[in-house]
Amino acid sequence: MNLTLLPDLLLAGMLIGLAWAALSSDDLRRGVVLFIAFGLLLAIVWARLLAPDLALAEAAIGAGLSGALLLVALRDGGGADQHATKPSTLNRWLIDLFVLVMTCLIGWVLWLTIYAEPVERLAQLANAMLDRSGVSNPVTAVLLNYRAYDTLLELVVVLAAVLGVVVVGRERRGYREAGPVFHGLVHWLVPLLIVTAGYLLWVGAHAPGGAFQAGATLAAAGIVLRLAGYDAAGLPDGRLLRWLLVAGTGVFLLFGLAMSFSGGGFLQYPEAWSGSLILIIEVAATASIAAALVLAYRGGRTDGWPLMDEKAENREVSS
Amino acid sequence: MNNLLIWPVAVPLLSALLALLWPRRSTWIGVLGTALSLLAVVLVSRQVIESGAIELALGGWSPGLGIALRADGLSVLMLLMSTLVSMAVAVYASVYFSRSERRSEFWVLWLLLITALHALFLSGDLFNLYVTLELLGLSAVVLACLGGSRESLQAALNYLVLGLLGSMAFLIGVALIYAGYGTLDMAALAVAIESGPTAWLALSLMTGGLLIKSALFPLHFWLPPAHSNAPAPVSAVLSALVVKAALYLILRLWLALFDEVVTQTAALILGLLGGIAVLWGSWAALQAERLKLMAAYSTVAQVGYLFLFLPLLAALPEGTTRDVALGALVLLALTHGFAKSAFFLAAGVIMQRAGHDRIAELGGTARALPVTAFTLALAGVALIGLPPSGSFLAKWQLLSSVFITGQWIWLPVIAIGTLLAGAYTFRLLGYAFAPGEGVGPSLSVGREEIPAVLLALVATLVLGFWASAVWELVPISAYAGGEG
Repeated sequence: MNLTLLPDLLLAGMLIGLAWAALSSDDLRRGVVLFIAFGLLLAIVWARLLAPDLALAEAAIGAGLSGALLLVALRDGGGADQHATKPSTLNRWLIDLFVLVMTCLIGWVLWLTIYAEPVERLAQLANAMLDRSGVSNPVTAVLLNYRAYDTLLELVVVLAAVLGVVVVGRERRGYREAGPVFHGLVHWLVPLLIVTAGYLLWVGAHAPGGAFQAGATLAAAGIVLRLAGYDAAGLPDGRLLRWLLVAGTGVFLLFGLAMSFSGGGFLQYPEAWSGSLILIIEVAATASIAAALVLAYRGGRTDGWPLMDEKAENREVSS
Repeated sequence: MNNLLIWPVAVPLLSALLALLWPRRSTWIGVLGTALSLLAVVLVSRQVIESGAIELALGGWSPGLGIALRADGLSVLMLLMSTLVSMAVAVYASVYFSRSERRSEFWVLWLLLITALHALFLSGDLFNLYVTLELLGLSAVVLACLGGSRESLQAALNYLVLGLLGSMAFLIGVALIYAGYGTLDMAALAVAIESGPTAWLALSLMTGGLLIKSALFPLHFWLPPAHSNAPAPVSAVLSALVVKAALYLILRLWLALFDEVVTQTAALILGLLGGIAVLWGSWAALQAERLKLMAAYSTVAQVGYLFLFLPLLAALPEGTTRDVALGALVLLALTHGFAKSAFFLAAGVIMQRAGHDRIAELGGTARALPVTAFTLALAGVALIGLPPSGSFLAKWQLLSSVFITGQWIWLPVIAIGTLLAGAYTFRLLGYAFAPGEGVGPSLSVGREEIPAVLLALVATLVLGFWASAVWELVPISAYAGGEG
């Protein structure tokens, strides 16, 4: 056996082990922590598979932000003992069996399609068209040019999700102000995260990075701020917050429509301009993604989020 | 270049963003945005009717590398239904939510839901379909939360988790298709897909995911609580449109993309589940004590009818007979869409007047709210399938397909289902038209009662008398490889 295969096998084994442990944990908190570890390990696996874009996204969003959201949901979710509700043993066996069969089937078909009888896919074409896309990172070209419409709709999905958070309730209570050591750390960490986000955004044009990773990193800065006792987590309130949430989708959509008015198709960038247009869209998208993620971490509508009927609220108070 | 196709998606999306920015004007923006989306859909439909299926390659990239939007007869019919229903419901909602403190969020999510529906009906790309499904599911869940009660939150959470499970299954299917055929463009796939393990597994996963979303028995259990606890305008679009979107995708997959792969046995299984859904849903609707719960169970039954067509379509040879059966399926789906949204709006009017929707205490409705009682009766006619409604013609055609194919097993299902539908409708009408004080006299607002009665009239009269238009439109196909 090839010796270089050993670390990979170890990684794969640990990945399955962690996934199993996270799923079967009785204690929800332990389950969440295992899930974060699983995400980080998965990021390493993506890096080993030479997919650094995915590795970055998995580390920032999959492990980092999802983990933070899960932990904060646990904090506010109830009392001290939080145990997963267990399905009955029979159901559990049936689910396990079903998942096992599906995994084998999917694995078998993937093996068939990837190794046994591979077909020509789109990577070659995507690379061939790279000169005309305005960027040199093929992943960014797919996300913001070839399949920009998907990305536009995904930004709308993020918007719908954060509106769901706003609809369900008020924001959660914040944290106590941090002690001096953490406070000092925050002063270093937040600017560093902001600069990293800017770098990821800029570098996305020709190397792994881009709006989603940058937005997640920027949101991490907000989360650090909130943990240190800054309740607003760096977000503005009121109208400005709404503009921030809308910015990504709005700029994207208006650019797309502007192109269809100026003679091209929807989202058909003029070739000479595509690099700059993509960068502007990505800046707006980064701001919106970060704002949405931080608002989700705050857990509900802010004090400045306008409620529509002041009269109705007054009635409630007076009665 | 046919930029017209982007407008049914761009108009509601732009309106949603504006409604989020100007919360105080959100009602106006919401109604106006819905009306402009209607206009965009009408323009697209006119072009499809005049010159056949149209396509727009987004970003100027060839479909495959890029994403194509396509409109053919089937998608135009679904678009028209969704935009007409949402227009009527928007007028009603402008009154229903006029005092709600959540009305700004309602209108944003409402417009996002319309965006998602239109994007789904126009999409010609499998991965793009997954994104539209996610947007549709998420905005539907958040809208269902707006009721604010504990039950509605619990039901919405179940809806969310099951919806995500469905989307995940769909996505794995999409990934397998890309691995196996190297493209996501549906027109190319309609030609390329052939029978084999990849296609079988992908089709089962995608269909399984969509079955959860379209609430086919036994995956229907999330629907009655979610639909009956949502605010009335939301229940109307959930039952009339969101469930249909999943069904539309199943039709696309089974008839255009995977037509080489689908076996008679697979279609028979779905047909059997549909048959059980018809019987069980109608029976549960007859037992229901609340008006909205009855409507929700009736949706389970009506979805069942639509799946009865699948084994028949699989057995019929390609050609006119099959097109006629397919047209009947679409006609039944459209009629149910209009009738059920009318029904939920009428239920909403009654609920706001009476403060409850317990069927046994609805006496006096006909005197206090004559228009609404009339709406319930008209919608009932369409749900049972009495002439002159569209569903009468559709069920007639369903029966004749049963005779042609010799699949007699469906005959008792259709007969018993129709009888049960008659029973639950007349039980309701009996209470609503009885004298009583259940619903006190009240000022009725035209904007509340008229949209519902118009929807019911479309279901019973318009779709009945102009049903031939549906049969003419359905065969216009953008997926030449699948139909030819």
